[in-house]
Amino acid sequence: MARASVVSVFGVLLLLPLGIGPYPLRVATVIFMWAALAGSWNLLAGYAGAVDLGPVVYHGIGAFVTAACMLKLGLPFLVSAALAGGAAMTIAWAVGTPTLRLRGAYFAIGTLALAESAKQLALAWDRLTGIPLTGGSAGVSLPLSAGYLVFYYVMLGLMTAVTAAAFWLRGSKFGYGLRAVGENDRLAEASGVDIHRLKRRVYVGSALAIAVTGGTAGYWLSYINAAEVFSASMTFQMVVMALLGGIGTPLGPVLGAAFLTLASEFLGTRFVYHYLIAIGVIIVGISLFAPAGLSGLLDLAWRRRARVSL
Amino acid sequence: MSVLEVRAVTKQFGSLVAVNAVDFALDEGEILAIIGPNGAGKSTLFNLIAGLDAPSAGRILYRGRPIAGLPPDAVCRLGIAKTFQIPQLFSRLTVAENVLVGALYGRGAGLAEAWREAREWLAFVGLADKAELPAETLSVSERRRADLARVLGTGASLVLLDENMAGLNQKELEAAVTLLREVRDRGRTLVVTEHIMRAILGLADRVVVLNYGEKIAEGRPADVMRDPAVVKAYLGEAYA
Ligand SMILES: Nc1ncnc2c1ncn2[C@@H]1O[C@H](COP(=O)(O)OP(=O)(O)O)[C@@H](O)[C@H]1O
Ligand SMILES: [Mg+2]
Repeated sequence: MARASVVSVFGVLLLLPLGIGPYPLRVATVIFMWAALAGSWNLLAGYAGAVDLGPVVYHGIGAFVTAACMLKLGLPFLVSAALAGGAAMTIAWAVGTPTLRLRGAYFAIGTLALAESAKQLALAWDRLTGIPLTGGSAGVSLPLSAGYLVFYYVMLGLMTAVTAAAFWLRGSKFGYGLRAVGENDRLAEASGVDIHRLKRRVYVGSALAIAVTGGTAGYWLSYINAAEVFSASMTFQMVVMALLGGIGTPLGPVLGAAFLTLASEFLGTRFVYHYLIAIGVIIVGISLFAPAGLSGLLDLAWRRRARVSL
Repeated sequence: MSVLEVRAVTKQFGSLVAVNAVDFALDEGEILAIIGPNGAGKSTLFNLIAGLDAPSAGRILYRGRPIAGLPPDAVCRLGIAKTFQIPQLFSRLTVAENVLVGALYGRGAGLAEAWREAREWLAFVGLADKAELPAETLSVSERRRADLARVLGTGASLVLLDENMAGLNQKELEAAVTLLREVRDRGRTLVVTEHIMRAILGLADRVVVLNYGEKIAEGRPADVMRDPAVVKAYLGEAYA
């Protein structure tokens, strides 16, 4: 039932550009982007219980590597984004090998520190290495893009891939291993789970999705700078969306991304200075009254309806 | 060849010697009980064997292969698994999924085979009717059995049970003893700890007694129970 409705929603989204104008399409693309980012974060945090406060590292790497491939090598966008994804995976493997051994708060703080260092390194990169890549604090301009449809579909594809991965985790061997790690890592280890290898695999996978999303977003905006593509506020937005929608659930990040993006769009134009406060209030309200997030509320409503119709 | 050899194994926590130069060996298909008062070092010794902690000194050989210092997941995949004195669960997974994880990763089974194993071992410990419930809903004695099912599900040939029979009444104890004999008859080697001697009298082939981290006696249960050193450790000077 739930799966059928997910598939039909996907069908509608595929055809949506035929029916609506550029502004709602832009908003939809923003939602897909955040759903892909928050969903990637959710794969590690929601399933394996490792709270990563530095996913933005791969967003920034994705943006700059994509830009460099397009500007310096003249490669097409999709090839550049794929190369950026590969670069992010390699770096994630190297970074994840030591950091994923940290547990709980140490991992969270370690990754947060890592992200801030990555931002400083990116800002200083050109000056330090003499290889022009990030443009320092001035940033980099990308070639103007060909229309918005390509971004709509790439972001839709990314969101779909990440969500499908989350659905797959629910019933697969890998998913059971990750959830065991998230529930009780010592017991998982004592049951034969190589917790470090499993966590690293999902960390590398989510780095890929985040980097391709970052590369796509950079090309879409046609301008990137290190302070923004590596900013901690992006990380927090991913985290908040996943928590809001329901951590550890496949559709939670999608719901959280849709809700927060729409709230920002809707409230943001009216009360430019107050919308952050309003969102803060909504988040506090949801975490107080529905700690399982929006998807928990939907589940509840669904079950109630099922009971009524019996 | 012995299934397990523990040679002069010592574990220190700061100045406290929790396990002090302990030796013993274990034969295939044997049931060995390690007994001793609270704080004697039984759980610590189990953690060392299962790779949950590394010894400060000494060697541990599993089927001739040194395993001291290996990580617990590797030790489990080699064939040693333990239940926990405070039974551990993956709380928000179902009872069946708890056992499934052991079968998937300890045994390295695929999903279909692991599900079969999970159902089989749950039925074996008498929890078939709880299979689909979240593990966190189990009572303490059910948790002990779920923990045992998970360990059996890993396919471990050497099973370590840390006070898995604690808190049982006489009737439940007899059922548990029958169950563990059946585990042995299915080809597993067992080491059980208890601080209540009564529990292991009818079960163990052999007993090792620990006191303050040291082995103070070893032998057949009936003989060990009469050993003055053992009586003293349990009951104090006056009864020796
Ligand atoms: N992680 C630890 N750190 C410090 N002391 C410990 C630790 N684990 C156990 N101990 C101490 O080691 C001794 C043996 O404990 P334990 O192995 O749990 O005994 P038993 O299982 O026989 O009751 C106790 O004095 C206990 O307090
Ligand atoms: Mg103990």
